[in-house]
Amino acid sequence: MMASSYTAKEEDGHITVSGPGALRSRKPENTAFKQQRLPAWQPILTAGTVLPAFFIIGLLFIPIGIGLFIDYTGVDASSPCFNCSQSFSWNSSRPFVFDPQSNVYVYYGLSNFYQNHRRYVKSRDDSQLNGDPKSLMVRRNTLELFYNDPNGTKVQILLNTTGIAWWTDKHPINWRRPVFDLDADEGNNGFINEDFIVWMRTAALPTFRKLYRIINKKSGMVPTLPRGNYSLEVVYNYPVRSFEGRKRMILSTISWMGGKNPFLGIAYITVAPCASSWASCCCSSTTSVETETTTLTFPTELLTCP
Amino acid sequence: MAYLKFQRSAIHSAVSSSAAHIGVGISGQEGMQAVLASDYSFAQFRYLRRLLLVHGRWSYFRMCNFLWYFFYKNFAFTLVHFWYGFFCGFSAQTVYDQWFITLFNIVYTSLPVLAMGLFDQDVSDQNSLHYPSLYKPGQQNLFFNKRQFFLCTLQGVSTSSLLFFIPYAAFSVMVKEDGSYISDQQVFAVTIATSLVIVVTVQIGLDTHYWTVVNHFFVWGSLIVYFAILFAMQSDGMFGIFTSSFPFVGTARNCLSEKSVWLVILLTSVVCVVPGMAVSFLRVELFPTLTDKVQTSSHRSAYAFSHQQGYGELITSGKNMKMSTASSTGSPGGTPQSSTWIENMLKRKNAVSCVSDEITGAPAKTD
Repeated sequence: MMASSYTAKEEDGHITVSGPGALRSRKPENTAFKQQRLPAWQPILTAGTVLPAFFIIGLLFIPIGIGLFIDYTGVDASSPCFNCSQSFSWNSSRPFVFDPQSNVYVYYGLSNFYQNHRRYVKSRDDSQLNGDPKSLMVRRNTLELFYNDPNGTKVQILLNTTGIAWWTDKHPINWRRPVFDLDADEGNNGFINEDFIVWMRTAALPTFRKLYRIINKKSGMVPTLPRGNYSLEVVYNYPVRSFEGRKRMILSTISWMGGKNPFLGIAYITVAPCASSWASCCCSSTTSVETETTTLTFPTELLTCP
Repeated sequence: MAYLKFQRSAIHSAVSSSAAHIGVGISGQEGMQAVLASDYSFAQFRYLRRLLLVHGRWSYFRMCNFLWYFFYKNFAFTLVHFWYGFFCGFSAQTVYDQWFITLFNIVYTSLPVLAMGLFDQDVSDQNSLHYPSLYKPGQQNLFFNKRQFFLCTLQGVSTSSLLFFIPYAAFSVMVKEDGSYISDQQVFAVTIATSLVIVVTVQIGLDTHYWTVVNHFFVWGSLIVYFAILFAMQSDGMFGIFTSSFPFVGTARNCLSEKSVWLVILLTSVVCVVPGMAVSFLRVELFPTLTDKVQTSSHRSAYAFSHQQGYGELITSGKNMKMSTASSTGSPGGTPQSSTWIENMLKRKNAVSCVSDEITGAPAKTD
């Protein structure tokens, strides 16, 4: 039945179908799209493109790396790790050796604490945190920072308790009663207590540090924390010995990049000479290859055109 | 491998590629039985040449490229969780946002590789016809075999490890520019996800040899769509409507406004992409295959022609007039006639006459 529709004149591949109506051709349209003739950019990796790219990477990464590495205004003063379980308060006294004139940030650090465990992350209920009150027991150390005058008197340093959480986490929420008394200040209680918000932001890694307090800088040229001895009093609420966790308290200033982060600087400084040296090796090897021959050798079958 | 079986009343031919066997029927005076039974059909034997050497070869090349890239992308995407397991107590906590996992293979990376599978050409169709040896890798299964799969796996695993460990090392001590906490699970997720999308997009860019308009649209469009969906899903609006489904509220705004996060993303992307680029460049320079040579010659031919002997001999010999009339009546599937002066010139330059024909044909067509 198909042969009946075939005509001897169909020499160029027309396969026609006799459906209802006129004869339809099954030949695909002769458009650029359907005949694979779309105009295109055809880049290939030549020495002229790859080697300059590598040199640019090398040149660009070195100043970035140096800028990150020597950015040392972020000074980190960690207290030694403590995990006592005998008493529930702890004093540490150490001298301060720098005079920061910017804000000082107080972090608490935890090690071996798997806040990123799947069951914990799964148990987090954002709709409850958003407004549905629920009783929670969160234990955390509280600490206060005292300044030991050379005279020996203890002056408590004012610690700023707000401004430590992300602005997007602080929702105007709809709570009917305070969850528990985290703060005497009613504006910072319950689910909008910033310490609680900071704690609930799940850490990515088992060793982490979270912002606890900010010591605002004083006006004028007065250093925020003058040189001298400081003591740290800690009320130890959350035992970590059971899972071999460790706690740290970190005081740090920050720079334009955030805190002190030597890894990025070192990584950039490492990648840059690798890229540059590889490019210069290739430069010398490809120029020697090119001087040998400028012609292309093809198999002999190709020299006869059909 | 192409083979032809001759039978009494019909001629059958079968073309095989490593990925699909297709049946081709040639309609003839004897009837249309082969056409009825085949996947593709045409009327003349000479079209078989184009079907095999151009479309069959392109099909094999595209399939292998597609497979290689698809496995690489999915290894890089999935094995990050393997590395993360060591740091989350092996609790199978996902690194990425659940929505990213859903949308990665459907929205963010599907269209560029689809465009590559549809349009990519390693050499042009004329060169495919002129160099039949280019068909050999298909017969010998060179573009995607166990060795290639192993190399693809290796690249995927190393990319996933770099994608995880560079942000891991950077985030261990990182804080935001205002001092607040940034090393949380959501920022970690967004950073690694953004780095991954950038790395695989750059990789498909390097793998695509033939950039049509569609390729451009799909590649750049996918990247833009990723950022658009990221900010949309992590906005306050979505969190307000579907609170439990969109827990990553505010993450993109807080972390992608940090210079240090972008520096981590830049470093990760460069370190993941550059070694692969270096290896493929070295392979082309030191051990070029026939495909590489044809690509380079067609790329250089426009440049090379201008440095060959000029038009003097062409004009004084008067052959250009005859050349133009001959080429205008040439059949679509045929090749332009080669005149003797061109052959002489080329033999002097020791270049391949078939390639230069395509180039010298162009200026000779001026009337």
